[in-house]
Amino acid sequence: MSDTHGTAPGPLARGALEPRVAATRSGWVVDARRSVADLVLSDESPLAKVLVKGPVTGAPGSVLGTSSGRAARTEVGGGTALVVGSGPGEWLVVGPVGTAAATVAAIERTVSGRPEFVSLIDLTHGRALMRLTGSRAPSVLAKVCAVDVEDAVVPNGGAFRSSVATVVTDVVRDDRDGTPSFLLHCERSTGQFLSEALLDAGEEYGIETTTLVGLVPEG
Amino acid sequence: MMLLPCPWCGPRNATEFRYGGATGARPDPVSATPQQWREYLYTQTNPLGWSREGWYHRAGCRRYITVERHTGTNEVRSALDTATEDG
Amino acid sequence: MSLTTPDPTPTTTRARPGRLAPQPGEVIDRRRPVTFTWNGVTHRGFRGDTIASALAASGERVFSRSYKYHRPRGLLTADFLDPGCSVQVGDEPNVRGGHRLVEDGMVVSSQNTWPSLKFDVKAVNGLAGRFLAPGFYYKTFIKPQRLWPLYEKVLRRFVHAGEITADVSGGVPGETFDKRYAHPDVVVAGGGPAGMAAAVAAALAGSRVMLVEEEHELGGHLRWGDADDREALRDLRAQVAAEPGIEVLTNSVVSGRFDDNWLSIVQRGLPQVFERLIKARAATMIVAPGLIERPYVFEGNDLPGVMLSTAVRRLINLYAVRPGSRAVVLTANPEGDAAVEDLRRAGVEIAAVVDARAGDTVVRATGRSEVTGVELSTGARIACDLLVTAVGWTAPTSLLNMAGDRPVYRPQAARFLPDPQRMPENVLATGGIVGDGTVTELVAHATAIGREAARRAAARARAIGEAVPTRGGDAPALPNPDPTPVDVPVLAPADHPELFQGSTHGFVDFCEDVSSKDLVIAVKEGYDSIELVKRYTTVTMGPTQGKLETVNTVAIVAAATGRTMAETGTTTWRPMYAPVTLGALAGRIHEPVRYSPMQSWHERHGATPLVAGQWIRPEHYGDPAAEVRAVRTGVGIIDVTPIGKLDLRGPDVAQLLNLLYVNKWSKLGIGRVRYGVMCAEDGVVMDDGVTGRLGEDHYLMSTTSSGAATVWEWVEDWLQTAHPDWRVHVTPVTTAYASINVAGPRSRELLAGLTNVDLSADAFGYMQVRTGAVAGVDDCVLWRIGFTGELSYEIHVPASYGLHAWERLMAHGADLGVQPFGVEAQRILRLEKGHFIVGQDTDGLTRAYSGALDWAIKLDKDDFVGKPELVWQQEQGVTTQLVALQPDDRTTVPEEASQILAADGRIAGRITSSRMSPTLGRSICLGQLEPALAAPGTVVTVRLVDGRDIGATVIEGLAHVDPEGARQRV
Repeated sequence: MSDTHGTAPGPLARGALEPRVAATRSGWVVDARRSVADLVLSDESPLAKVLVKGPVTGAPGSVLGTSSGRAARTEVGGGTALVVGSGPGEWLVVGPVGTAAATVAAIERTVSGRPEFVSLIDLTHGRALMRLTGSRAPSVLAKVCAVDVEDAVVPNGGAFRSSVATVVTDVVRDDRDGTPSFLLHCERSTGQFLSEALLDAGEEYGIETTTLVGLVPEG
Repeated sequence: MMLLPCPWCGPRNATEFRYGGATGARPDPVSATPQQWREYLYTQTNPLGWSREGWYHRAGCRRYITVERHTGTNEVRSALDTATEDG
Repeated sequence: MSLTTPDPTPTTTRARPGRLAPQPGEVIDRRRPVTFTWNGVTHRGFRGDTIASALAASGERVFSRSYKYHRPRGLLTADFLDPGCSVQVGDEPNVRGGHRLVEDGMVVSSQNTWPSLKFDVKAVNGLAGRFLAPGFYYKTFIKPQRLWPLYEKVLRRFVHAGEITADVSGGVPGETFDKRYAHPDVVVAGGGPAGMAAAVAAALAGSRVMLVEEEHELGGHLRWGDADDREALRDLRAQVAAEPGIEVLTNSVVSGRFDDNWLSIVQRGLPQVFERLIKARAATMIVAPGLIERPYVFEGNDLPGVMLSTAVRRLINLYAVRPGSRAVVLTANPEGDAAVEDLRRAGVEIAAVVDARAGDTVVRATGRSEVTGVELSTGARIACDLLVTAVGWTAPTSLLNMAGDRPVYRPQAARFLPDPQRMPENVLATGGIVGDGTVTELVAHATAIGREAARRAAARARAIGEAVPTRGGDAPALPNPDPTPVDVPVLAPADHPELFQGSTHGFVDFCEDVSSKDLVIAVKEGYDSIELVKRYTTVTMGPTQGKLETVNTVAIVAAATGRTMAETGTTTWRPMYAPVTLGALAGRIHEPVRYSPMQSWHERHGATPLVAGQWIRPEHYGDPAAEVRAVRTGVGIIDVTPIGKLDLRGPDVAQLLNLLYVNKWSKLGIGRVRYGVMCAEDGVVMDDGVTGRLGEDHYLMSTTSSGAATVWEWVEDWLQTAHPDWRVHVTPVTTAYASINVAGPRSRELLAGLTNVDLSADAFGYMQVRTGAVAGVDDCVLWRIGFTGELSYEIHVPASYGLHAWERLMAHGADLGVQPFGVEAQRILRLEKGHFIVGQDTDGLTRAYSGALDWAIKLDKDDFVGKPELVWQQEQGVTTQLVALQPDDRTTVPEEASQILAADGRIAGRITSSRMSPTLGRSICLGQLEPALAAPGTVVTVRLVDGRDIGATVIEGLAHVDPEGARQRV
């Protein structure tokens, strides 16, 4: 009974997906393996995730500069975050690992004093986030999601919520250097299932898992 | 499979939605007679033709929408957000 | 290699059936021979052969026994429609022998032919007997009902279905069934000349096209045509290949068309994928299936050796197979005439050409196991081993009908044609289904239809682009589609004599063994509507689904009823258009599974998994009774992550809670927790849980695990549809927290060392909530509540730290003997306390007063969901109520759902929960019981599953253990 709160070893956070080869980075257990395959899936759950709710038109939208169905990188609280218009009156702000509290504070500052009813909630630990990258990524999604993700409907920067392998998932098209790349965001408890469904669907195209990519710059 | 034109998400498969049935007004809970209340609970007109019904986009925007649908052809002539009447 | 060995019999010099010298359009690769077995005998064929063509090349003529009469059957169409050659390949049943390509080592056998194909003991003398008259099954096997299982057992032996195994891989290791979605602009169903031309035109107009062909290669009837046809085919194939916008799917079929052009396409023959179901949302569909040749109805028309003209042309030109030695050809059209030429070229002796256009016809074919002669309308009898018929065409309009079209009968053309007026905007048709013409005329029509389909698809794409928010405001504008419809040239059907049945009765439906006589009898018995005839006789209900037999059926029913064919109409065409395996429909199945962040720990520590909805939970870690005792005497921890949790924020949350719960919420102070019960509008208990007030406008609501999703939608429903003006934001946080209940008299002691929250009874009382750090993790929520009836803290840890917190609790509590416990122990603990479970101790009819919830229901509130029904229930009194019971025999645990009987033997209630209580050392129950028997001390009878009756006594209140609730309030 020698422990007190805030004991050693320090709290270790775990992503939503079981890592193949575990390593610790910034207080998070992450998958250490880095793949060079053309089609890769990574657990991005450690990224900061803040959900902002408010009127469809009004303060949050004008402050965050993104409308429902679109995603863009924006400076939030001194850092770059990916702001996703994840639904009518709903924004998902994805920031670098460890920035959730600062993001909440920064957005609260900018919307305070406005008359609208706005709320913020840190969902970093509540949601799974993964990234699927590769020229065959649309083919993988086509096996598990009924929404057309081709350029004519979901160009880069497009965001939608739909059923992916029967899991309700936010899908954000966030290409990397011209290669199709999708962020997938769902309830944490179904993250492992969703990742396994994507790996199964991608087997035909040689999918591999890879280590945390992080919030890469726009590319 | 039927497509429903979600006012927020665009056309989506009907399986993304939960069907809420024909929309009817809730009687005043203080003055309603059992007869009126149970008609509200259980009686559906079930027309062959245009029907005004509620759908919940559970796998999408998570908004309740009011849809005018022809039950014979599944043609949809309007779909509005129930709360905001956006469409 | 030549199989055209000379006939050894000296009386004739005729060439025997077998392989021909190379043909200009043949699809077999003679450099690649394959060896396979047929009913145990080794046969040879070539790559490109179908099972049927390879066997026909070996001189085989009988491929199966028919469905009801077990008559020998051979090739009729020699393609995927052929009703006579369903075969078993390895462990795969019902393979279409006219379509499946032979492979080296393939094991092929005939289906349901006992003891052998050549001698089938079940064969009966077909049409002469009344043994299997129409409606035979309905009439014969009705009574006595107790023999139904026996009837089924016997009848199944007579059905020619194959053998299946439980192996879902399609019989080949590593192969799977797959599914995918697709969003093509244009789907072309049919890859003949019209389909190819339409696809090319649509692609050139900018559409993304899927060209779907059931055969193994594109080309349709050009493939077995003359040199000009082959030249046209080469050109069209080159054009298709040059268009990157066309995805060609051969050995695939559009099997159904559903609302809004939702198409099911089954794709076969892919590497590593046995079959793939493509769910395509097509902007437009072009239906171009060509025409199907129609059999002629006459006596003996099912004998092996009676074939359609397209069958012999396919055998000769595609597979270089001589289909017989001496042929009679009944022809009514140029294709039949062409068959005569092909037969001559193949060295088949033409015994007679019967020209139906001149009024001549065939009366009957004779022979036992195959055709040996033909009797003509002229009275002539001619010996032959091949009778070829070319009497007309059927337009396979199924996909159009599924789109709402109704075919119209055109007597001059002797076929049904699509009604252009009833075609939806997103469906078009071209090719033989529309009309007849030269290849040039077909291509011209199809090209216009392809361009029109592309034009409509572009309009559709633009409408979608404008409707979706994902394109954003700065996306390039989608092209404005041309408003002018494409001018489509006329493609008229050629005149054709109406030829359906000769002067004798014969088979109409070769799959189901339905004869024209059966149809006439059915009409005489009063089944005078085409739909009734279909159901009564099962005509058109076999694997070909009417494609060969519908028009003949209509003609015969029309004649029997004295109506015209137009008046008679056709039966309804429904999906599937073609036979589809169950594997293709099942495909990749997604059944989401949810895991708590502590799942890996549970697995490592021997937890028995319990599937609870989508969740995998620990049922116990070996001994649930020991787990119960640990909680009652020391401390235990349980993973309760699946408990539903909703984060509620906003100034109007209290109003919302007042509306949704039967109890009152306006006075809940910050830091307080209250138990609440939700009813639906019918007053039936829907969910329960506790809600804590974390801040001025911030609440955390808990729901049952199974009700988490329902309650969230319920809350959103009331907010969005009834009270959109209320300012409340609802966010599901069920899995945002790892939830751990620390329960037992020593729980305070365990937790005290791990948290900065003051746990003293004065600072943190029963039914209160605090936030703080646990095991070094900030932003945890702690509820002091008691489902188990013990002092307990439910801690909600940000989920990423759940495993860390759990491991710290286990390590820190080691010297207290902390015991992880599972769902089973928790169920026992709550039953000892008499806490009900919604959906177990209540059901879909249990209104709140029957749940012993009188104390919670506040009818003095102006309104809450379900209030009127509860007002009336209170006025009228309950019909059942929740009670706690103890069996008189302490060791007997009545099964849940055991009935409770009144003194007069009536069913007066039921046991809803029952367990052996480790704490009391006796069996305990909850039950729903009539109020007259619910008074404490009443002894009732419980009927056990084994039929024994036992006594049980109703106790005071619901709690078997600690009825005062003292233990949880310390």
